[in-house]
Amino acid sequence: MDCMETRTNLLAGRRGLLSPQEAASLQEHLRGCELCTRADAADIELSRTLSRLPRRDAPQALKRRLESRWAPRERRWPRRVGQVVAVAGVGLAVAAGATLFLGARERSDAMVTEAVNDHLRVLYSEHPVEVESGGIHQVKPWFAGRVDFAPSVAFAGDQDFPLKGGSVAYFMDRKAATFIYGHRLHTITLFVFRADGLPWPPADGEPVGSQRVYVRDDRGFHVLMWRHGDLGYALVSDTSPTDLRELAGRLATPGTGSESPRTP
Amino acid sequence: MDSLHHFARYLSGSAVDAEDLVQEAYARAFRAAPTFAWGTNLRAWLFRILRNAFIDGRRRTRRTSDEDASESASEEVPFAHEPLFGDIEMEALRGAVAADIERALSALTADARAVVLLDLEGFSEGEIAEIVGCAAGTVKSRLSRARDSLRKLLAQYRR
Repeated sequence: MDCMETRTNLLAGRRGLLSPQEAASLQEHLRGCELCTRADAADIELSRTLSRLPRRDAPQALKRRLESRWAPRERRWPRRVGQVVAVAGVGLAVAAGATLFLGARERSDAMVTEAVNDHLRVLYSEHPVEVESGGIHQVKPWFAGRVDFAPSVAFAGDQDFPLKGGSVAYFMDRKAATFIYGHRLHTITLFVFRADGLPWPPADGEPVGSQRVYVRDDRGFHVLMWRHGDLGYALVSDTSPTDLRELAGRLATPGTGSESPRTP
Repeated sequence: MDSLHHFARYLSGSAVDAEDLVQEAYARAFRAAPTFAWGTNLRAWLFRILRNAFIDGRRRTRRTSDEDASESASEEVPFAHEPLFGDIEMEALRGAVAADIERALSALTADARAVVLLDLEGFSEGEIAEIVGCAAGTVKSRLSRARDSLRKLLAQYRR
């Protein structure tokens, strides 16, 4: 395998897509070629770089427009057409709450699962914080232009729950402003996102601060979720439920931080 | 739908065009649904429809002839064997911010951009070949060259 062929096969080689003979030939070339070895290392780094390419999800207005026009309706189309459009519209169904098949509890469980998955992404990420915290007044303005809402957070962090920084993530089908707090050795992630169109649990939350907060556990993590005005909040961590409620109380109570949440 | 829009947004480089492309792809998928062969890859089929809509749009706006010529020419360019930037390149890649990545992506030819985006979407070489209408081997070399170009572009931005 020469340099050109090696470069062409670097990605496939790392993904285990080459035949045993090709893989052996690739490895043999890499052992003897410094340039291709460096190209391989740079290509690995490129994969990490490309993972930071911002997602450009469909705007809600477009989803609503397409849903109103193309969402499958009973007996509206021939079966095959309906099936294609139904599959094509999976994203629409998620955005609309997948109301056809799931009960309310199951649907809200999807939000809990999503919150824990997103928290795990934060924990696994090499760079969980895109903007280091110099205080809430440094973190919040950073979101301008990165999310399509103003994340309203009532707690700026303190010695018990220091604010480490922020980043942009995705919650279900939409962007979320992510605030990362610490508590002793635990990481606590707060996701703030637009609340509309999500399968929120029924109004059976427990009072925390001035909000009704939905408390769920999933895979050893505790999840607290609540709505305030147009925004939704999901707080996730493996710290004790008592500590997480304490932080939720500060976040969900206007006047404990630098700013009051906007009026519903 | 989000994936289709993401693909359309970076393929076209325009938020407005991306919305038009997704809408056009849905309309075409609806019209072509009776001919879709069940058991084949529906997701790849939808992406192919969107990419075809993109190509048709470019033809209509007469932007395609020069680009196509240069893209065809670039297909023939073998790997450059100039020295890599080494540590500088690695630092540039590590330090690249979202705007750098988007800029580098937009500097690629449309075909190169398409294979990079489709690869990031998790499509296999065979599926990408089906979407862009070429041989799987062509996808592999095109993707490799595109990634090579991306690395060099990102390194240049940080020099």
